[in-house]
Amino acid sequence: MAIVDELAALQAETLAAIEAAADSAALEQVRVGVLGKSGTLTGYLRGMGQVPKEERAEVGKTVNAVRVVVEEALSARKAALAAAELEASMGANAVDITLPGRYQQLGTRHLINRIIDEVSEIFLGLGYSIAKGPEVETEYYNFNALNAPEDHPSRGLADTFYAVDRSDDAHVHVKGESSVLLRTQTSPVQARVMEAQKPPIYIISPGKVYRRDVADPSHLPQFHQIEGLVVDEGITFGDLKGTLEYVCKQIFGEERKTRFRAHYFPFTEPSAEVDVSCGICHGEGCRFCKGTGWLEILGCGMVDPNVYGYAGIDPEKYSGFAFGMGVERIACLKYNVPDLRMLVEGDMRFLRQF
Amino acid sequence: MKASLKWLSDYVEVPTDIKELCDRLDLTGTGVEGVEKLGEQFDGVVVGHVLTCEAHPDSDHMHVVTVDVGAGEPVQIVCGAPNIAAGIKVPVATIGAVLPGDFKIKKSKLRGVTSCGMCCSQRELGMGSDHEGIWILPDDAPTGTPIAEYLGLGDTVLDLEITPNRPDSLSIAGLARELGAMYQRDWKSPLAEMAAKMQLDEAGAPLEDEVKITIDDDVRCPRYTARVIRGCKVGPSPDWMVERLAAIGQRSINNIVDVTNYILFLLGQPLHAFDLAKLKNADGLAHIVIRAAEEGEKLTTLDGEDRVLTSDMTVISTPEQGAVALAGVMGGLDTEVTEETVDILLEAATFEAGRTSRTSRNLGLISESSMRYERGVDDHDIDVRSAAAAALIAEVSGGTVARAASNGEGIVDEWPRATEAVQLQFRIPRFNAMMGSDIPRDFIEDILSRLGCEVSDGADADTLAVVAPTFRPDLEREIDLYEEVLRLWGMDRIAPTLPGGPGRVGTRSEEELKRDIVNRTLRSCGLNETMTYSFAQPDDLERLRMDPEGLGEAVELINPMNADQSVLRRSIIPGLLRSVAHNQAHGVKNIQLYEIGETFHAAEGRQLPKERTRIAGVLVGAMGDAGWNVAPQPFDFFDGKGVIESLVRELAIPKVHFKALSADEAPHLQPGRAAQVLSGGTVLGWVGELHPLAVDAFEAHGPVVAFELELSALIKSSQPARPYVDVPTFPAVSLDVAFVVDEDVTHEKLMQCMSSAGGKLLEDVQLFDVYRDAERIGAGKKSMAYALTWRAADRTLTSEEAEKAHQKLVKKVCGATGAEVRG
Repeated sequence: MAIVDELAALQAETLAAIEAAADSAALEQVRVGVLGKSGTLTGYLRGMGQVPKEERAEVGKTVNAVRVVVEEALSARKAALAAAELEASMGANAVDITLPGRYQQLGTRHLINRIIDEVSEIFLGLGYSIAKGPEVETEYYNFNALNAPEDHPSRGLADTFYAVDRSDDAHVHVKGESSVLLRTQTSPVQARVMEAQKPPIYIISPGKVYRRDVADPSHLPQFHQIEGLVVDEGITFGDLKGTLEYVCKQIFGEERKTRFRAHYFPFTEPSAEVDVSCGICHGEGCRFCKGTGWLEILGCGMVDPNVYGYAGIDPEKYSGFAFGMGVERIACLKYNVPDLRMLVEGDMRFLRQF
Repeated sequence: MKASLKWLSDYVEVPTDIKELCDRLDLTGTGVEGVEKLGEQFDGVVVGHVLTCEAHPDSDHMHVVTVDVGAGEPVQIVCGAPNIAAGIKVPVATIGAVLPGDFKIKKSKLRGVTSCGMCCSQRELGMGSDHEGIWILPDDAPTGTPIAEYLGLGDTVLDLEITPNRPDSLSIAGLARELGAMYQRDWKSPLAEMAAKMQLDEAGAPLEDEVKITIDDDVRCPRYTARVIRGCKVGPSPDWMVERLAAIGQRSINNIVDVTNYILFLLGQPLHAFDLAKLKNADGLAHIVIRAAEEGEKLTTLDGEDRVLTSDMTVISTPEQGAVALAGVMGGLDTEVTEETVDILLEAATFEAGRTSRTSRNLGLISESSMRYERGVDDHDIDVRSAAAAALIAEVSGGTVARAASNGEGIVDEWPRATEAVQLQFRIPRFNAMMGSDIPRDFIEDILSRLGCEVSDGADADTLAVVAPTFRPDLEREIDLYEEVLRLWGMDRIAPTLPGGPGRVGTRSEEELKRDIVNRTLRSCGLNETMTYSFAQPDDLERLRMDPEGLGEAVELINPMNADQSVLRRSIIPGLLRSVAHNQAHGVKNIQLYEIGETFHAAEGRQLPKERTRIAGVLVGAMGDAGWNVAPQPFDFFDGKGVIESLVRELAIPKVHFKALSADEAPHLQPGRAAQVLSGGTVLGWVGELHPLAVDAFEAHGPVVAFELELSALIKSSQPARPYVDVPTFPAVSLDVAFVVDEDVTHEKLMQCMSSAGGKLLEDVQLFDVYRDAERIGAGKKSMAYALTWRAADRTLTSEEAEKAHQKLVKKVCGATGAEVRG
């Protein structure tokens, strides 16, 4: 058989072997058998010297052609096998995607602070800043500077926690009372801000307050308030209403209504309590709102001129309003927390809900 | 304050729609806390007219009657009472009525005859004991009228919340005036008519022979009056007064005490009736002295309690008996009116508000009188109110009112300090500008007048001159009048607006922003925020074994809720440990809690304690439960330290190092697992595993990894931003080395050596293994394996160069620490 024919046969045989190779390893064996150091086709290339001169060009051309065809076939088969093997390996690596993921535990914000964050955000948007003050206060800032009469019942031992006064304050008190107390409201911050800062004042002051209540599902001796104060020129009762209506809608939802009930607080005049319509019965009256259709949510009023007097602000030039809301109250109304004591127990099963 | 609408309607027209009335009261500042309908138990019981009466066919004593009950067809009722007869009027309980004892009236059959109701006896209606037969009503009783209405028992009583600024509303007459203003209706004061009924005993001994008043201190007692009613017969009160008092929840005592209560609730004037005979000195004169109590003076009050008084309290006294009453709060037992009393001394006075309040609070004795005195009782018209009371006492007890010879009046009246009526201006434009309203002048004038003010034209056309009534001590300033007009105009009628102030910007302080970072970082580390009480047990630190050095004294509460909460905390850790114990007691094993809160540190001589904001955390158990693809590591010291390292990174706090704390320095921590956290020379706090005995003391189970940091120190050390460092562009060479060192050579020491020996080519060092094996590397030794990254910033570092620097470093470290390189 002529060399050229031998080559043709070799090509056909090799192509068949390539086609038959079941995996990359078999294909590599075929490649080595044909194109390796001692491969069959390599043999022809090496043996070119023995080929008669006149046939050499023809044979050389044929050998090269065969090599090109074989190499192309090899690479095509290699790609096909690789694709198939990739498919197969991916198939083998499929997982049950309903198994739980691998996650890093993220901690949670306490519900009370979550609400304070939410309310603070609303007021920041309205152009208010945040002010803070001490939790152990003087009687002066907690009561006197807020125009609370000397004999106001809220000053009583039954309502206010008093602390031992370690200074030599000689002020005469009702038995058991002292000039040092745990603040019963965040309002003393108002008094401190007005002393330190000239109008315009737009602040809120969230924080802990203390009252002598036995801890039960609806009371804690330690709870939180958010107090607000605005003092500027031309502030009206309408501004107070507009601000608090906006805030209540932001907190409880656009569909909720508000109403202002005249009330009395020593540090505001006129004073009001604000109710939002009950979210359960929408004002019809139900057990949740004790049949009234309304839920009391905050106290407010125009700043009493006496309070300005303590701070040296001219009440003929400036007017303003103040308000205070209970954060735990919002927690109850908005998140249906059934027992306030859960807020101070640190039970992981409660904390991780929020 | 309980208000009977029936009583109120004697003086003002009361709206019939109770719901609307309550809403209006609520909105205008008189909160309605409860609505009680009297006579409700008689719903369904009406006056019936017996039309026919036949004997029951199957009974020898029952009758079958038809009764007209005023609506529809007459009803058939089977009745067993012997006195039933055709033509009489009887109370009939119709179907659906519920009689006392929860007895429901239903349609029934009695021995085969249908009965659609019941004819009632007095006892069946709970109105008396007469059960002889059915209650036969007068012939003129209108058929079909509800029995409660017919008997005058129907009434609605409101329980009102009177705010402390409104003493005037603590009376029926005052509420009638308020209702008049609320509805712009006229009301009729009963006062003048009642007082006019008083008749003086022209014949009896002159009043001044029996009574003399001395006021020691006119601040404590601005006015004191006394009347004497002689020849009283103490006994039961007339029914109308018993009913009035019963409606507002007051039990009838006797006719004299009932009159004082009646006047108190009607006119708001507290009164006290003394037995005159018991006040008299040996000379027959009752010399009333109003003075400060002596320190330690004793008085047995009407409630039978022995009271020890202080000089802050005011007493009514006589020279011979000493204190006979606690001014404004309660009378004394020895001089009270009893059934034997004949002559009465009636006190009507006013006392200093603040002192009355303190006295009643100090003695824990809140009475209807003290409640009114502490809010302020008007000194004007006391004589008139007292006359009304005296007239009523005379009327119900048959006594006569004594007359003074000197002036012909029936009163001894000491009034050293009279309240001046306050003169105010009401600037209408300013009012409307401040309220954001447009309330007309007519309305303003009308409301102020109805509230008892005298209103006239002021200095200019837009100003009113207003004289506030003395019974409204809360109307002191112009703004107080604004409130009155606004609340009665209706706050709901003011249009809502937003403030337009131009100088307003909402900003967050540096501290808040940093605090947010701390919160976010701790939560990213898997910690859950909690809140514990600021209150603490006095021995909390001791039980925690924490050294109180530097924590000041505890703030002590004078009136704590209980002994467990009698001081304020100086560390947050005890509170968190209590939460750990709570969780563990409820089967929760994995606990990651943190709190940012105040701790309180008192010092002698300083009025207010220092408040520090602290960040505290506890880690117990592991981060989570074992899962199919995770095997959680139990928490140890390094989890706590890792949290601190994250905080330090997020807050860009420079030069942070952890210093080992000895057992002496931190007795609350487990020795060898305790570190102080510093930034340069500033102490930021501590981290460690709590001492097992401390954990036990709080009934928790360890190990408990904990930390407590000072927020202000973190904020102070925190840099505004970390500086930019070029991202490397040339490749690095990584080389590892393992040093075998003595146990006391720390990682920190090795790091310092490597960093000083490595020079600027040493970019990073990571510890990747710590290995101990007594046999292979020797007892008391450890192998510390590090991966070092070598890199030049300006060129590609050759491996030869890196190797050379590395060998130099290894040699230096070995020299400095006695390390050997592990092959």
